[in-house]
Amino acid sequence: MPIHEKNLVDKNRLLVKEEAKLDGLDVSGQWSTFIEQRILGDYSTDVLDAVASTPAGKTIVNCWQCGTCTAGCCMHTDFGLREFNPRYFIYLAQKGAEDELKKYAPVIWRCVTCNKCVERCPKGVRVEEVVHSIEGYMRSKGWMGDTPASRWDEAFVKNTLQTGVLDELALTRSYVSREKLAEFNNRFMLRMALKLVRTGRIRTGPLRHRVKGWEKVRGVAKEILEGGGDG
Amino acid sequence: MSSPRILVVGGGPAGLSAACDLAEAGANVVLVEEEGFLGGTPKKLHYSLIAPDLKPVQEVLDPLVRRVEQSGVEVMLNSEVASFKGSGDGFHVEVRRKGGPLESHVFDSVIAATGFAHWDPHKKYEYGYGVYPDVLDFKDFERMLSEDNLRRPSNGETPKRIAWLLCVGSRDKQVGKFYCCRMGCVVSIKQAMEVRQKHPEIDTYVYYMDIRTYGFWEDKVYWRSMEEFNVKFVRGRIGSINRGEDGRLVAMAEDTILQRPTEVPFDMLVLATGMEASRGTVEFAKLAGLELEEHGFIKPLQSDSLPVHTTVEGIFVAGTATGPKAIPDSVSEGSAAAMKALNFARRKAVAERQQTR
Repeated sequence: MPIHEKNLVDKNRLLVKEEAKLDGLDVSGQWSTFIEQRILGDYSTDVLDAVASTPAGKTIVNCWQCGTCTAGCCMHTDFGLREFNPRYFIYLAQKGAEDELKKYAPVIWRCVTCNKCVERCPKGVRVEEVVHSIEGYMRSKGWMGDTPASRWDEAFVKNTLQTGVLDELALTRSYVSREKLAEFNNRFMLRMALKLVRTGRIRTGPLRHRVKGWEKVRGVAKEILEGGGDG
Repeated sequence: MSSPRILVVGGGPAGLSAACDLAEAGANVVLVEEEGFLGGTPKKLHYSLIAPDLKPVQEVLDPLVRRVEQSGVEVMLNSEVASFKGSGDGFHVEVRRKGGPLESHVFDSVIAATGFAHWDPHKKYEYGYGVYPDVLDFKDFERMLSEDNLRRPSNGETPKRIAWLLCVGSRDKQVGKFYCCRMGCVVSIKQAMEVRQKHPEIDTYVYYMDIRTYGFWEDKVYWRSMEEFNVKFVRGRIGSINRGEDGRLVAMAEDTILQRPTEVPFDMLVLATGMEASRGTVEFAKLAGLELEEHGFIKPLQSDSLPVHTTVEGIFVAGTATGPKAIPDSVSEGSAAAMKALNFARRKAVAERQQTR
């Protein structure tokens, strides 16, 4: 039907069809606009069950939506990314509101793991871990691909698995060049890196620290990581 | 000096506690109970487990009943106070046993432990109680749990999803009940836990405005229900219940956190019906000339410092006759009223002796 004052309707809920037929009658043109209803027709436990079954996500059932996590979240408050709301992500997961959760694929990975939320949560929710678990669920559903954060995690694990000790310089170099982070690719950063290596603060390449008997530990670590578990 | 003669009206948790404490302190106690058994509303309506320790109701009340029976209380079952008159030498009371003659007694002091009744949810027509067989209230559902017979009344099947709606007949100006029933939250959550314990496959949702599981009920009941039993909570009050095409109930509510209207199907809905003064409480107050307070319960002389005194000297009150209360509170109040009633009777005896000297 013709909809007046479309500006009052949430844009995502306006459906405009090129061609529309109702009961065999062609209603294309100005009759082709529909509003998707806002009513939530059901709750589902799919997301909750999936998240709660991961080691990182098991405290999701503790959440009672007080908002302490979001109140201190540096992404939400200091960085000003109001769409990044860990309390809300948890609620959407708890109630299985997948259509709504999907909308947050572009932001849910932006957590910087400061862990203030985990420190402050009065109910013992490991918020940062739970949000990452929800992110994992969303990725498994194909709602989001890899992100700068997930690529960093991947590079970090790969690097650490080599000798058991992180080679910061190698990690930063490979990540910076892959992500083309101009801010890090300049003479000042290079000079600082050189100085750190010269003074022995950072040991890289053949000089990097090693963990004794790492070969054995690496086998176990790989097995755990490949076994999944952590959404 | 003869032992004081004290009347206890009502054989629920408060009355039982008062009666056995008095008898053990050496008073002559008559306990008048309108039903044919002791234990009051929890027994009458077949309550299941009692929060916070989730003990069966028999385990909570039977020791009290046994103490009353063993301490020499004169128990009058199936009986009602027929007339009541206070005068200088005590309270002249006539008690009628069902179908029997009137019995006259004189008492030095009286304890009213006349209790509460669950609010009748028929009055909240939008929830469809009495229309949809799968809409139950507290008493229906407690009975179902205590009989371990969890089935949808409409078709006899085990439900897959149950909702609770808090504050039905409490905190509602539309029905003239302005107060909180104090136990709706804890009983609902306890019921959900009981369901999940016996049937982990059933999904449970509690619709709430606030969760008022005060004191130790917070962690022992509310937190436990979420953390161990995965009971889910929805902040929002159901506006109405409709019937879905498949015969299920559809709860029309706003999920105030999602800020969206929701129409969620359920197999059963339990209404957390509030507490109001029982018929017995109102009738006894009228007979004995006790004032009622604004919510219809018996008015304590001072609600802060004299909670078990009534506006009539020598008559005391305990339990839910003065307002919503949990079983442990009623038991404590029974003991408190017993102390006050005994003191009053003894002081009166001393005064009489001094006059006759």
